[in-house]
Amino acid sequence: MPYRTSRWSWLTAGLGLVFSVPVVAILVLAFSAQHGMWTHLASTVLPGYLTNTLLLALGVGMGTFVIGVGAGWLVAMHEFPGRRVLEWALLLPMAFPGYVLAIVYVEVFEYAGPVQSLLRELFGWRSPRDYWFPEVASVGGAVFLLSLALYPYVYLLARNAFTQQASALLEASRMLGRPPQQAFWEVALPQARPAIIVGVSLALMETLADFGTVQLLAVSTFTTGIYHTWFGTNNASGAAQLALALLGGVALLFVLERWSRRQQRFHMRSTATRFPLRHSCSGIRGWLTLLAGALPLLLGFVLPALFLLGWTLQSWERLPLDRFVDDASHSLLLAAVTAGLAVVLGVALAYGMRLCRQRLVRVLIRVVSLGYAIPGPVVALGLLIPLAQLDQRINPWLEQQFGMGVTYLLSGTLFILIAAYLTRFLALAFGTTESGLTHITPSMDEASRALGKSTLRTLCSVHVPLLRGSLLIALLLVFVDVMKELPATLMLRPFNFNTLATRAYGYASDEMLEPAALWCLAIVVVGLTPVLLLNRQLRQAHAVQETPSHRLMPVPGLPDAAPAPEASHA
Amino acid sequence: MRPLLLKPLMLECHRLSKQYGNVLAVRDMSLTLEGPDFLSVLGPSGCGKSTLLRLVAGLEHPDSGAVRQAGTTLSGNGKFVPPEQRHFGMVFQDFVLFPHMTVAENIAYGIRGLKSDRQKRVLELLDLVSLSHLSDQMPHQISGGEQQRVALARSLAPRPQLILMDEPFSNLDHQLRVQLRQEIHGILKQEGVPTILVTHDQSEAITFSDQMVLMNRGTLVQSGTPKEVYQQPSSLWAATFVGEANQLPVRWAQGKLHGSLGVVTVPPEVGEPTATLLVRPENLRLQAANSGGVRGVVRQVEFRGASQSVEVQLESGEVVCATTPPQTACAPDDAVSVHLDHFLCYGAAGQLLSNPKNLRE
Repeated sequence: MPYRTSRWSWLTAGLGLVFSVPVVAILVLAFSAQHGMWTHLASTVLPGYLTNTLLLALGVGMGTFVIGVGAGWLVAMHEFPGRRVLEWALLLPMAFPGYVLAIVYVEVFEYAGPVQSLLRELFGWRSPRDYWFPEVASVGGAVFLLSLALYPYVYLLARNAFTQQASALLEASRMLGRPPQQAFWEVALPQARPAIIVGVSLALMETLADFGTVQLLAVSTFTTGIYHTWFGTNNASGAAQLALALLGGVALLFVLERWSRRQQRFHMRSTATRFPLRHSCSGIRGWLTLLAGALPLLLGFVLPALFLLGWTLQSWERLPLDRFVDDASHSLLLAAVTAGLAVVLGVALAYGMRLCRQRLVRVLIRVVSLGYAIPGPVVALGLLIPLAQLDQRINPWLEQQFGMGVTYLLSGTLFILIAAYLTRFLALAFGTTESGLTHITPSMDEASRALGKSTLRTLCSVHVPLLRGSLLIALLLVFVDVMKELPATLMLRPFNFNTLATRAYGYASDEMLEPAALWCLAIVVVGLTPVLLLNRQLRQAHAVQETPSHRLMPVPGLPDAAPAPEASHA
Repeated sequence: MRPLLLKPLMLECHRLSKQYGNVLAVRDMSLTLEGPDFLSVLGPSGCGKSTLLRLVAGLEHPDSGAVRQAGTTLSGNGKFVPPEQRHFGMVFQDFVLFPHMTVAENIAYGIRGLKSDRQKRVLELLDLVSLSHLSDQMPHQISGGEQQRVALARSLAPRPQLILMDEPFSNLDHQLRVQLRQEIHGILKQEGVPTILVTHDQSEAITFSDQMVLMNRGTLVQSGTPKEVYQQPSSLWAATFVGEANQLPVRWAQGKLHGSLGVVTVPPEVGEPTATLLVRPENLRLQAANSGGVRGVVRQVEFRGASQSVEVQLESGEVVCATTPPQTACAPDDAVSVHLDHFLCYGAAGQLLSNPKNLRE
């Protein structure tokens, strides 16, 4: 018996080590740089990257806060026509990756685009000198688009916090002599603070990791900086240093998010709201409320989706469909293989976590769950450098053994792509499985073991069947995220190999925005599935709201939904 | 501690009705509360008692009827004073402490005035509920009973004219509930604040209150002192909801009531419409067999410490329950004779007919 347990420890520890390779490689690379590199970076590009990244983070932080909390408050505390539809529809912008939104908005607002053309026609302007028009390709534009794409994180968590107990707390506050407006600032908002911080820090992590949006809008941030330093000036250690600085920012957000999640558990008591108090808005006020609440949905989903659809239909005759089929099959293949592997490895890790009590193993597993927070360009850099070196060792050996070598066996094939995807998205599969496993009582394991089954047999015959639902969700989440992934794919793909995401990006970079529409549309349609799934889960959770132990997680895109349980085991 | 509130409260609910969707939660309810009284509203869950409390608090608008206080209309007739202007305190079922504030901040929240006065009042209340040592703790760090006492202190802090309590003890375990009930009762008496308590627990209602209102399906069933309600339940439903009761069918013949507990004499105007005899277990006396009364056989004995509850099968086959002193020797299958000390007569619709008089045959 102890032998078997330790076998799981080795397995999980090994996996943990493998997936910490990119971070370790970045560290090694960054500190092995020639002396003076830091000062060189600091004097040239760093200030620009830093300013842009900070402005972006600040802007998106405020943008997602205002939209997310505002929409959450409207929907949770007001009754108006269309509220029930809006409640779930507000999650739809999650289906739009930032870069797709950027492709649409650049096209719509450019000089020759429909909006400016219409304005010119209406007012008789002739040239750009005749009027002022906001530039989408700017930090402001990036803030606007990323806020639209990322506010659902904040919205979802804030709305939950408000519906769960805001009305009870507001009543308590009113009974103590406070008018409702004041009660919002004094009670409802502070009590939701941990949830809001979790949401905003998730949105900010995505912002720091974003590559496609800022690249398309020509805003230089750390991620685009890594790309240019690496590919443009072939300076890998410089890129690694930028990556390290970026990781520092991500780590900060990660700690903030974890800490708030713990606070959130204290704030979220099982207060069953028996009298959900919705301020009813009828007549013109109701319609205005609906309009205000629907604005982020219109800008972040409905209008862009309509534009994409329109462009696709318009250019249908001229579309290179065989190319689309090729790219789509590449995307599907990668997504399916990665999702399958991620679920198998995720189950192994989660089960190993359940069996192992060693501190070191648990720490290594936590390292894996950090992967989701690591930006794509960082993962790409951290994988390509060590794998390329490994290839250089393998090649002569292969020639010796078989008389023929393969120059880029690992670093030039789909292997490295899948490894990069797993580094980033294994955390999703692991988190989903882990939170599913917590619902299976340990006595279940003991019962099976007492009946003479090994740990592996127990896993296969007891846990996996019980976890079927969670595993399907994990499969779907990883699948969709791989389909949407852009930066790592762009940097690591084999020569002339394209996926939906890279082709859409490529078209957009070449200012061929019309053909990009079909590719974008395909990505959005795939991206819709987890949003619909999430919505279904939330509905079910709503129906069983009385059971306080019920967990809404896993939420697509929210990494590692499970609370950090180390404390109870230590 | 502080002078009693001298202004009489004079709270009056007049024919209140409230509907949620197509469920009529409160139907035509009227009640009054004067002076520093304890009023409890008792009823099964879902009977509308919480809604009634929320109508008084101003957390709900009545569909019809009015809430008045000392001559001013709080709700009804197109008027509505919002809850924050009513100066009532409320203690919620799940405490609803503000999770982001310390115990002291929670208590201070509703107090107006100078900072020094507020601090003084907080200390006073912490002392009153004996929680001075927890003033800097967060709500999630203290136990359920402590949370409940903080909730009470918070509602008392602004010196409300009335305290409303919505099932305040139902989230606590039994032992704590009994202890806390006594404690809070003492505190409220000391503060002299009139209180309305909503509960589904009859012992809570009986021990807590000066006045009691019994509700069922949104309507008032009976009101009075706990003693009145227990001793003269206005209907069979009230009798079984408050305390235990034996219900025995009887028929009127030759100027007397005949039933399985023998023959009893009542005035004909009472006896004639009587369908059921209601007997509390403590009004049945058990004596050795053949000592007169009705014969029966003991079926079951449940020892309760201060008393014991005995189930007796009567000659007619009916089973009645009697409460006897614990020293009464009695075991299953013992033959006993049952004596009827006191009873009430109810009509076919379950309505009370007689005034209690010791009418015995």
